[in-house]
Amino acid sequence: MKPTGILFFPAFDWAISPTHPEREERLLYTRDQIFEEGIMDLPQIKEYHPRLAEIRDVARLHFCIPTVEAQIIEAHLVSAGSALVMADAFMQGEVKNAFAIIRPPGHHAMTVSHGNRGFCNINNEAIMIEYLRQKYGIKRVAIVDTDVHHGDGTQEIYWHDPDVLFISFHQDGRTLYPGSGFMEELGGPLAHGTTINLPLAPKTTDAGILYAIDELILPMLEDFKPDIVINSAGQDNHYSDPLANMAFSARGYAELNSRLAPDIAVLEGGYSVETALPYVNMGLIMAMAGIDYSNLREPDYNPSRFKESPRNMEYIKKMLAQQWTAYKNREETIADNRKKSGNFINYNKSIFYDTEYIYEDQINHLRICQNCGGFRMIESRAHQRTGEHFHVFCISIPANACQQCQEEGRAAYQDMIKKRPFDLLYLQDRVKDDLRIYKVHKDTETVL
Amino acid sequence: MLIGIDVGGTYTDGVLFKQGAIIATVKKPTDDMNLKNTLLEVLDELLPSAGQQKIERIVFSTTLVTNLLATGRGERTALIMLPGHGLPHDAYDICPDIFFARGSVDFRGNVIEKLDQKEIDDILDRIAAADIKRVAVAAKFANRNDILEREIQSRLAASYPDISVSISSEISNKLNFPRRAATTYFTAMTVKEWMRFAAEIDKAITERGLDSEVHILKADGGTFSLDTSFRRPCETVFSGPAASTMGGLALSQPNLNSVVLDIGGTTSDIALIIAGAPLYASKGARLGQHYTHISAFAVNSVALGGDSCLDYDGEIKVQSFRRGAAACFGGDYPTVTDAFNCKMDLGIGNAGQSAEKLQQLASKAGIESSELCRQVVNIVIERLVSNIEAMFREWENEPAYKVWEVVNRRKFKLDQIIGIGAAATAIVPQVAARLEVDSFLHDYSPVANALGAAVVRPTLAVELHVDTPNNFFSVGPGGIRGSLSDRGGMQLGDAKNMARQYLLDMCREQGMESYASESSFYMEEQFNIISGWSRSGKIFDVGIQIAPGFISEYKGVSS
Repeated sequence: MKPTGILFFPAFDWAISPTHPEREERLLYTRDQIFEEGIMDLPQIKEYHPRLAEIRDVARLHFCIPTVEAQIIEAHLVSAGSALVMADAFMQGEVKNAFAIIRPPGHHAMTVSHGNRGFCNINNEAIMIEYLRQKYGIKRVAIVDTDVHHGDGTQEIYWHDPDVLFISFHQDGRTLYPGSGFMEELGGPLAHGTTINLPLAPKTTDAGILYAIDELILPMLEDFKPDIVINSAGQDNHYSDPLANMAFSARGYAELNSRLAPDIAVLEGGYSVETALPYVNMGLIMAMAGIDYSNLREPDYNPSRFKESPRNMEYIKKMLAQQWTAYKNREETIADNRKKSGNFINYNKSIFYDTEYIYEDQINHLRICQNCGGFRMIESRAHQRTGEHFHVFCISIPANACQQCQEEGRAAYQDMIKKRPFDLLYLQDRVKDDLRIYKVHKDTETVL
Repeated sequence: MLIGIDVGGTYTDGVLFKQGAIIATVKKPTDDMNLKNTLLEVLDELLPSAGQQKIERIVFSTTLVTNLLATGRGERTALIMLPGHGLPHDAYDICPDIFFARGSVDFRGNVIEKLDQKEIDDILDRIAAADIKRVAVAAKFANRNDILEREIQSRLAASYPDISVSISSEISNKLNFPRRAATTYFTAMTVKEWMRFAAEIDKAITERGLDSEVHILKADGGTFSLDTSFRRPCETVFSGPAASTMGGLALSQPNLNSVVLDIGGTTSDIALIIAGAPLYASKGARLGQHYTHISAFAVNSVALGGDSCLDYDGEIKVQSFRRGAAACFGGDYPTVTDAFNCKMDLGIGNAGQSAEKLQQLASKAGIESSELCRQVVNIVIERLVSNIEAMFREWENEPAYKVWEVVNRRKFKLDQIIGIGAAATAIVPQVAARLEVDSFLHDYSPVANALGAAVVRPTLAVELHVDTPNNFFSVGPGGIRGSLSDRGGMQLGDAKNMARQYLLDMCREQGMESYASESSFYMEEQFNIISGWSRSGKIFDVGIQIAPGFISEYKGVSS
């Protein structure tokens, strides 16, 4: 039996600020717990060394404005690089599954990055997914976001991608950051039904969440037949998390991962550094490695404290039924959207970066393609934290784009170079892995 | 004058050393059943060469503990474990007489669950009824709070004063409960036999009218006194490879990146020296199936040596076993040494016999003798090189927990290969040439192990953990605990001073204060503890050590 790959990178020398929830201490007690347990010594576990992601790995996914180097520091490259180490270990058959226990986190980072949102600058899982597609030819991906906060960054990145099934369950956006992830958010016109949100009421327990896993998420994965399943593994549904209000337990997390059986799990949020993380991380490692976790629990865990209310179970059941229908009808809906739309659909979007108080305005243009999910163009403007204003135009050709979308996308880039109404132009051709930045005022092009 | 004796699995080597020169050497077969006699025979053969001169120091390595663990002849010992909540109990398959009890502590030292007195009493009664006279106790996070272990210790002293007990918090202050439990158990089960052996050696040395300092070699390449060894006999395991590595280091230049390649009869031991410092096994010494908190050199043993015999069964094979000495030394079968002897024209022993036996095998294989030698030399070199390179990779791929460790990623750049052992002269230059580095061989290479034992200094590593909000500190080894005098303003520098002071105290106690000034910090960590949105204090982890090195009398060898 192959071992489970673990990459533990606590970034003991990185923090957003000394008292911020994302501080050096965050994984200290997790380190203490997993080292003291000696679980890394077991033959079921293989521990890995982190590496730096390359700038290209980031630029393949994000439009970092003005450059990747300006938006991140080395800690982000190590965190993203660690996810890539796990991806390689899994794809090369060294491990049966893999868990990257890493920080800084990533799931609130969107395609365009002007700064830090929700403690995230770049999206570790999505960078890993585009790397998997580029290097190993992976096509269909399922992401289950188990963080208590809606994975709005990952959702935005794959909003138009019919080959990525993104399922997020989280505390209802009316009660928690980032205030999104409602049931109606089902994906763009050509990928409708491959984004599935399950907003849960505060205080939802193990029973409610595991019910959603069994009754909706597992059947959906079974039906979607992804090449790989990723758990965007936040740990803040825990009953002791200081930033959220759910009632999930360490054993619940272990059970969830045992049932979900993700190929790769990547740590996201979770800020109960002393009373939850040590035990939740142990639970995840044990579940992924197939080690009996019936002896695991938090010191203060009392199962009688958390009973799911019949009313909440009713709500969950209704929600699951509705989302199953949306998913099942997706092909019909998409076909319908293709018929009734023109060549492009255009929409505006305002994005707020809570960590750095940046307001970004976007105009998105999606090509309504008859053969694929279409390529996307994003016009974005924002005053960054430095006070500098950027007005940029970004063209993203997805990994599974058809021939015509590739040609039109590249032509649009050349066209914009002539028209020059922006500071910076970006081309991201994920099919050819061709990544370019054009500085309009200097008339220079950088090929990454 | 200094004496070093290395008791190996097959042979015991001894040297008498004075002012840069080896005065006498002795080599004897090791009698596993009577190590004391082997040791004393070697000592008695060395002593006449010393004449009337004083023997200042005698250092020996032994396989006693290794043998006790391998044959299970240690004292029957019960292990009481308090694993709390976490891994299933069957993950702790350390020994036959194992008992699990309730009671647990967390990483901050908070007691989560108290002992169940009735349960403990029952366990102790069962141990006593089984006529077991020694007990090891290990609680998870006992390094952060030893109260549960201490309670069991007092309970045992009250109910069964004739049962001896070792507790894990005194053995190690490091994290990793299974390693701490295994180390405590192995310590407990070997201590009685070790004390008997050490007392005999002590007596024998006194009987010979010697008032030398007597030290034992440890797996970490340092020594400790007989007295100190009573507390932690397990640290004497794997001291043979440590002796060779330190011997290689003693003979060559300091501060280089080296591979020490000790080529024995049927095994070759590979160790790494990084900028003059031997590399440790990152998970500690592995005894049987268990990792421990015993610090040991990382040694990769390859089943291949000078006496490994050569065969043909459709292809040329270098076997992992021997069928006697090399042909050039009168053996009946061709060996690795013979192939190198002919290929490189080394003139070892009777080279004609090498050629003759190789020719017989070559005829059987239907190839030229020169082709046979070429193939054998290739196989040997590639097997050694791939094992050496695997060790580089392993070191480069050790986990890293800080950004700077990843950004400044380490890369092993080899300067030289140091050859040790009788067959090194033939093989090591070829391996070095293949890796495009220098080889280093010395006239003393064949006895580098015993030389290493003679000249290495004592080592000591002290770890301090401080938790200022909890007003708590602990120091290992020894299980010292206390509260802080000034916790409010404590900074990393204060914690380092504190650790240095404890090291100094232990050095004094162990009669090694002359080395205290050569201590260095190998771990310095500090974390802010945040409660709500403000800082409530700090956690410090500091490690300070007297690293492996040489006694001040040793100024190198005269060449």
